[in-house]
Amino acid sequence: MAETTPAFYLVNMFNPVYITSARAICAQDTFSNNNLPEETKAFEQNILNYHEPDYKKYFTIMQLRRMTRIIKIGLVTAIEALKDAKLEQPQAIITGTAKGSMTDTEKFLHDIVDFNEGTLNPTAFIQSTYNALNGLIALHHNANGYNSTYVHRGFSLENALMDAIMLFEENRIENALIGCFEEMTAEHYELKKKMGYWKNESMKNIDLLNSPTTGTIAGEGTFFFTLNKSAENAIAKLNGLRMLYNVDEALIKTTFKSFLAEHNLTLDEVDTVFLSYNGNSQTRHFEDAISQQLSPSTNQLAFKHLCGEFDTAAGFALWAGAKILQHQTIHPSLILKKGTSSSLKNVVIYNQYNGKEHAFYLLEKI
Amino acid sequence: MPGKRVFITGMGIISAIGTGVGETLVSLRNNVSGIGSIDIVDTLLKTKLIAGEIKVPNDNLVELTGVKKNAYYTRTSLLGIAALQEAMQMCKLDPSRQKTGFINATTVGGMSDMEKFYFDLVDPTTKSNENGLADCLDCADCTEKIADHFNIKDWIATISTACSSSANAILYGARLIKSGQLDVAVCGGTDALTRFTLNGFNSLKNIDPSPCMPFDENRNGLNLGEAAAYVILESEEQLQRSGNKPLAELSGYRNFNEAFHPTAPSPNGEGALTAMQETIQMAGLQPADISYINVHGTATLNNDLSEGIALKRLFGENVPLFSSTKPFTGHTLAAAGAVEAVFALLSLQEQIIYANLNFKSPIPELGLYPVTSLQTDKTVNHVLSNSFGFGGNNASLLFSKYV
Repeated sequence: MAETTPAFYLVNMFNPVYITSARAICAQDTFSNNNLPEETKAFEQNILNYHEPDYKKYFTIMQLRRMTRIIKIGLVTAIEALKDAKLEQPQAIITGTAKGSMTDTEKFLHDIVDFNEGTLNPTAFIQSTYNALNGLIALHHNANGYNSTYVHRGFSLENALMDAIMLFEENRIENALIGCFEEMTAEHYELKKKMGYWKNESMKNIDLLNSPTTGTIAGEGTFFFTLNKSAENAIAKLNGLRMLYNVDEALIKTTFKSFLAEHNLTLDEVDTVFLSYNGNSQTRHFEDAISQQLSPSTNQLAFKHLCGEFDTAAGFALWAGAKILQHQTIHPSLILKKGTSSSLKNVVIYNQYNGKEHAFYLLEKI
Repeated sequence: MPGKRVFITGMGIISAIGTGVGETLVSLRNNVSGIGSIDIVDTLLKTKLIAGEIKVPNDNLVELTGVKKNAYYTRTSLLGIAALQEAMQMCKLDPSRQKTGFINATTVGGMSDMEKFYFDLVDPTTKSNENGLADCLDCADCTEKIADHFNIKDWIATISTACSSSANAILYGARLIKSGQLDVAVCGGTDALTRFTLNGFNSLKNIDPSPCMPFDENRNGLNLGEAAAYVILESEEQLQRSGNKPLAELSGYRNFNEAFHPTAPSPNGEGALTAMQETIQMAGLQPADISYINVHGTATLNNDLSEGIALKRLFGENVPLFSSTKPFTGHTLAAAGAVEAVFALLSLQEQIIYANLNFKSPIPELGLYPVTSLQTDKTVNHVLSNSFGFGGNNASLLFSKYV
C-alpha cells in the first residue's frame, strides 16, 4: 500500500535563486574546461582520487607549503567560481562538508601518539576544523558577512543551499558563494571498509552501475557555486530543494510526485533526471523507485560512476546539471537511458547517501 | 527580519556544573565552578591541565538516557540525549504531528570515542567495528543518533563553525521557523571533552593550567569543558496548538564573519561589534535596553581584549552588566552557545546575573569590570549572548523576557 503524504508534510517552496557560476574539481578533469572532458577517465581501483589542478597559478611556494590538500582544492575551486561570476566579495559564504580535512584530522591523531602529547604543531589541528576552508575563503576575498559550515553527510550541501535561499528571502543578501568539499584518504577508506561501504572486488568504474554486489567505490569532489537573487548572467535556476531523512522508498516515490506537482510539472515535462546509482545492490531500490515512474521522454542520467561516492557527491550532479542547462547538451558519459525529449529545460536531481539522507533538486533553464 | 516571532519553550543541559537545569542553577547561584581535574578522558595532559569535565562515566549516561544497546553511542551522543531529554520533558511536543527539525552543532563529533579505537579501526589486519563504531567519527553521527532517539525527522542539520556552532544552530532554527519550513526547531550543541581537542588547544598555547580568568588583566588562556545543551523554538501559531508556555522570546540574532585571521579576532573587535549591534537592531531595541551580556569571554589574551573593545565601541561609557560564565563550565566549544543560551534563559526566569569568577583586576586598555558576585536585585529583560569562533565566525543572540 502506498504511503500517503501527511497533511503537515514539508512544502519547502521558495523564490527561485539563480546560479551564476559552477566549478568542479573531482576525479575527472572537470576543471580545465569547466566541463566533462571529451574522454572521461576510467579507473580500475576502488578509489577515484582527485585530478588536481596546477596550484602554482594561484599560490606562492610558501603559501602552498602551509596549505593542506583539501584547502588548496577548495580555495582554487572557490576562486574560479567567483571569477566566473565576476564577484569579488560574496555577501555570504556557506559550505557543506561531511569530513572536512581528513588528512589533517588523521595527522593530528597520529601526532598526539607519535609525540606523546608533547609540543605539537597546531597547523593540522587548525586545518582539521570543519570551517577552516570557509574562514580562509573569507580571508582570501576579504569577504566579511554571513558565514557558516554544515557538516551533515548527505545533507551538508543541501543545508548550505537552504541557508542561502533563506538569506535571499530575508533580503539580507544579493549573492552568495556556496560549496561542498570532500576528500578520501587511505585510512578513511579502511575505516569505511570495515563498515562495508566499499565493494570487496576490484571494480572498473564504468561497470559500476550494473554491479550485482553490495558496496560502492570511493570518490572525492569539491564544487563551488555562486548564487544570485537576480537572473542577470545566470547559467541555471534553482527552483526547488527537498530533503528527506530516513524514509522508505514509498515515501520517496510520493514525494517525488508531489515535488513535481508543487512546481507545476508533469512527468513528461521533466527532460532530465540525475539518479544517484552507485552500484550498491542494497540501496538501488531507492533510485529504481524514481526510475520506474519516469516517462519515456526523460533522459535518465547517472554520475557516481564518474566521481565515486562521497557524502557531498550531490555537488557533482548540481554542477553537471547546471552545465547541461547552460550548454544545452548532455555529455554521453552521463547517460543511463536516453529519453525522447528534444528539449533540455528541467533537470531533477535525486541523491541518496547511504540510504538515509535523500534530496531532490529542481533546476531550470534560464 | 520582522514578521514571525520565535519563542523558547524548553531547555535542557548537562555540563560540569550539573545534570539538568536544577543542578545547574544551584551551581550558578552559589558560584560553584565545575573546573577541576581530568579523570575520564584518557590523556597525558591530565597531569598538567584542568578542565570542565562532567563526572558521569559513559555507562551511567547509558543508564540515564535509556538508549538501545545494539548501536554504538559515543559520549557526544549520550550527552546530547541526556540534555535533550530534559528539554523535551519540559514542554509538550509531538514530532510526529508538528513539523519538527533538529539543528545540532558539534566541533569533533564522535572523536571522544573514536580516538580510543582509531588505530585499531584503520589497521587492515584487525577487525573491530563493533556496533558500527567506525561510523561515529564524523559530526553527523551524534545528530542522527539523537534525532532518531526522539523521532525527529522533518529537518536534520549539523553545524560546525568552531566556538559559535550552537549559536548558529539556534539562529538557523529560528530562521527555518520564520520562513515557514518548520513549526518547531530543536537547536543546540554537544561536545565531549577529547584528547584531540585538549592537545589541539594546548598546541595553540592558549590553555591556562589554572582556573581561567576572563576579562582579567592577568588572564592566561582558557579551560576546556564538555557539555550538551538544547533549546526548543516554536512559532507563535505553533504555541496556540501546543499550548506550551514560552520561557522567553528569541528577539534577535546575527552571524557575522570578520575575515581577519584564521584563529585570532581583529584587534578592533569589528566582528563582535557588528554581531552585537545588528542583533540589538533586529529586536528593535537600543543598546541601553540590554540588561545583561553573557560575553564570550574565553580568557584568552586576544578574545577578551577584542570583545572588550567591541563592548566599549557599542555601549560607550554605559557598558551593561556583563560576565563570562566560562569559569563555571570551561569553554564547551560547539555547545557553548547553547549552554549560554540556557544561562540567559535562567537569568531572565530567575532575574539573576551570574558572577564572572576569578576576576581580580581589569584589563588596563579597557578598564572594564565584569559582575563579580551573583546579582539578585537587578531587573533582567533582555540578555545578549556572544559566541565567537575560529575562522572569524561571530554570532550573537538576544533573549527577551516573554511579555
